[in-house]
Amino acid sequence: MARGSTTGAGGSRGFLWISALSLGLVVALPALFVVLVAVFPDLGRGSLAAPFRPLWRVLSDPALAVLLRNTLVLGLGTVAVSAALALPLAALRALFRVPCARVWDLLLLIPFMIPPYIAALSWILTLQPRGYLEQLSGVNLAGLLFSVPGIILLMALNTFPVVYFILSRNFETIGARFSDVGRVCGAGPWRAFLRLTLPLATPGIAASLLLVFAMAIEEYGTPAALGRRIGFEVLVTGIENRVSEWPIDLPEAAGLSLVLVLLALAAFAVQRWLLARRDYRILGGKPQPFQKRPLGRWRLPVLALFALVAGVATVLPLLAILAAALGRTISGGLRPDNLGLTNFAELLDLGSGGLRALSHSLSLGVATALLAGGLGAITAYAVARGAGRGRAALDALSLMPNALPGVVVGVGIILAWNQPWLPVSPYNTPLILLLAYTCLLLPQPVRYASAALQQQGDSLEAAARVCGAAPRTAFARIVLPLMTPSLITSMLLVFAVASRELVASLLVAPVGYETISVYIWRQFDQGSVGLGMAMALCTIAITTLIPMLLIALMRGRLSPG
Amino acid sequence: MKLSLIAALLLATATTARADVTVYSAGPGSLINALAAGFTATTGTRVNVFQATTGKIMARLEAEAANPVADMVISASWGTATQFAEEGLLLDYDSPNAATVPDFLKLPGAVAEGVSGLVIAWNPTSGTPRPTDWADLARPAYKDMVTLPDPAASGGTFTLVEALLANDRKDLLEDLKDNGAIVAGANKAALTPVLQGAKAAVFAGVDYITMDAAAKGESIEAIFPSSGTVIAPRPMMILKSSQNAEDAKAFFDYVLSEPGQAMVAAAYLMPARTDIEADRPLIGDMKLMSNEGAPARDEVLSTFQGIFR
Repeated sequence: MARGSTTGAGGSRGFLWISALSLGLVVALPALFVVLVAVFPDLGRGSLAAPFRPLWRVLSDPALAVLLRNTLVLGLGTVAVSAALALPLAALRALFRVPCARVWDLLLLIPFMIPPYIAALSWILTLQPRGYLEQLSGVNLAGLLFSVPGIILLMALNTFPVVYFILSRNFETIGARFSDVGRVCGAGPWRAFLRLTLPLATPGIAASLLLVFAMAIEEYGTPAALGRRIGFEVLVTGIENRVSEWPIDLPEAAGLSLVLVLLALAAFAVQRWLLARRDYRILGGKPQPFQKRPLGRWRLPVLALFALVAGVATVLPLLAILAAALGRTISGGLRPDNLGLTNFAELLDLGSGGLRALSHSLSLGVATALLAGGLGAITAYAVARGAGRGRAALDALSLMPNALPGVVVGVGIILAWNQPWLPVSPYNTPLILLLAYTCLLLPQPVRYASAALQQQGDSLEAAARVCGAAPRTAFARIVLPLMTPSLITSMLLVFAVASRELVASLLVAPVGYETISVYIWRQFDQGSVGLGMAMALCTIAITTLIPMLLIALMRGRLSPG
Repeated sequence: MKLSLIAALLLATATTARADVTVYSAGPGSLINALAAGFTATTGTRVNVFQATTGKIMARLEAEAANPVADMVISASWGTATQFAEEGLLLDYDSPNAATVPDFLKLPGAVAEGVSGLVIAWNPTSGTPRPTDWADLARPAYKDMVTLPDPAASGGTFTLVEALLANDRKDLLEDLKDNGAIVAGANKAALTPVLQGAKAAVFAGVDYITMDAAAKGESIEAIFPSSGTVIAPRPMMILKSSQNAEDAKAFFDYVLSEPGQAMVAAAYLMPARTDIEADRPLIGDMKLMSNEGAPARDEVLSTFQGIFR
């Protein structure tokens, strides 16, 4: 991708500057304060005393090796299981005529819309002794649930949609075109897939697995809910422990976060190294119609595979959430006299604040999707087509928030934006949440857009320039439309995650301003689990239906199939 | 489109930012919301509430230290008050309504809003005998059926473990471990499995959370152990940095007023004032363990982890 990209260089200088400036403000500034607080423990009070002491304490603690090992086990395990789940499904979906493909897409999107802390709780309620499963069937799977493989499996069930959606789009773009060439030259269908389609999809595979790895090592809800029970501590739980109960230790939490960031950057370096060695451009000219193959006698087994994965990843957790939301009490279980709509009635009651929290989160979700999407497109373009040394740094910077735990981003943002000498500040307004969400979610659109860009030859852009188009016109008329599908997908994910982000919201939410996740958390913490689950169910429905409607509208307009 | 959204967000800000007293409070959210609404109804002064865990509140206060936002803080851990007082962060205010609050619930700069106690939270439909004391939960009848909140994530459990160590009852914790008791995150994470019946009892449950769940119809009972328990006063403090100390003092007085303390009692907490009725056991009714001579925090936590890991 680095070679032969000269055409856009002149025009993308402007993009480079816009991107550098906004990333600096949104990502680098809070991150800088995290580093500062790790180095100068009393920074919050405006003092530079005792530099490096907490950082040294963290790095010299023998427990760090265990945390690091467990984090790696969790991250790599989740990547492996996600890939194993998503790769076959994505390939089948992209290259064959799978019956009811849209329905499977929808069902496989939902796990991503279920907040991990809700998913973990619903699995506990389902699988533990006397849980929903035992109430219905008489068996429980507590042994699997509270184990390291169990944690990895649950996290993979939550994250594999990322891989599935990037890859199915990717395989589709590569299409039968290249493997047809392979078949003509005498390769069998398997050989053509393994030697052509799969290698050409490397950027997508690498980008999505990197995202999964970063999400897995940063995710707090699942390891906290399940890992604590078996003494399986990871870096994130170590960080949360330091800010969850008095006495808190921000400098040590920041120090541990830096270790986490280094881990993610190492993964990022591996990804860059993998991609820099080859050329993955596949979109170099006139698009051709692509006929998907029929499944033939494999129809039923393939349907069964899709049904199994969707059933475990989507239907089971949704049923558990529904059961808890309908239950008047947890101890009443699934007895008919314990089920009713009281929780939903209380949720819709104007006094309870549930509706207000919903409208807050949904508008923040839309604003974040637009801001992160715009910034992501510009950054990905500047990195892929620009010139100069700053590009790699920009690329790394755009990934960093993925490895920063929400709570640490929150602390960094407060430190950065609550300085007394700032004449105006977004702090203590909803804009601070917009900044926090954009910072945390920017990696998604950047990854998606740059994977799309890497497969776009620059010959199209060059042709536009030769025909007299200005660089900006070429970007707007050629590059942007070609990466739009990937970008929209990522913006929908950003919308979904931003409307339910918990950890940073809990810390930086303006006084008296409640989001969906804060509402749910308050119910789980000291209220009614059922009410929290009712809210979760409404959120999942809304964050799934809005994107689906959008996608349906887009498909109708952009392409016939 | 983007601009109009940002404008809408700004507008929303303009309506929420103008408030008179800013309070950071630990849960329960329903209590602080009721107190704020009652105060506004009687004085017309608005109260803006930020509600989170004690840890999150302290993290926010520490990050905001250069430019404090809060006027008043209500935490669930008495240690926060002693430390803030030592650091000289608190405004010394002698509320007229605090006259009937016992001395051990007061500091210069802090008065308890209410007090919670630690109990055995037992599920009567779990098929186990009703426990009466901590040591019962180490008996074979409760094998693999007990959860504990993690003292690193629950201030209440920490205080109890501290008291057990101070009273040479470390063996009780070891017996619990041998009996298959598990450590399960924060308070609620320890309670949920007991509600569903996966476990029978929480060792070191929080009394008001347990009573509130029972009042909502859950099958759960708060049992005060016969050998004694510990309490956790919830300190209420006005920050010296407050730009609005007069209104903060008025809210402070309101929380300690008779209607304010009645709201505290309605949340199943023990009122700080001794002259307020409550439908639950009060401090005078329960036997308390002493924390005298307990080891330092790090040692308490590492001893606990040494037993349960």
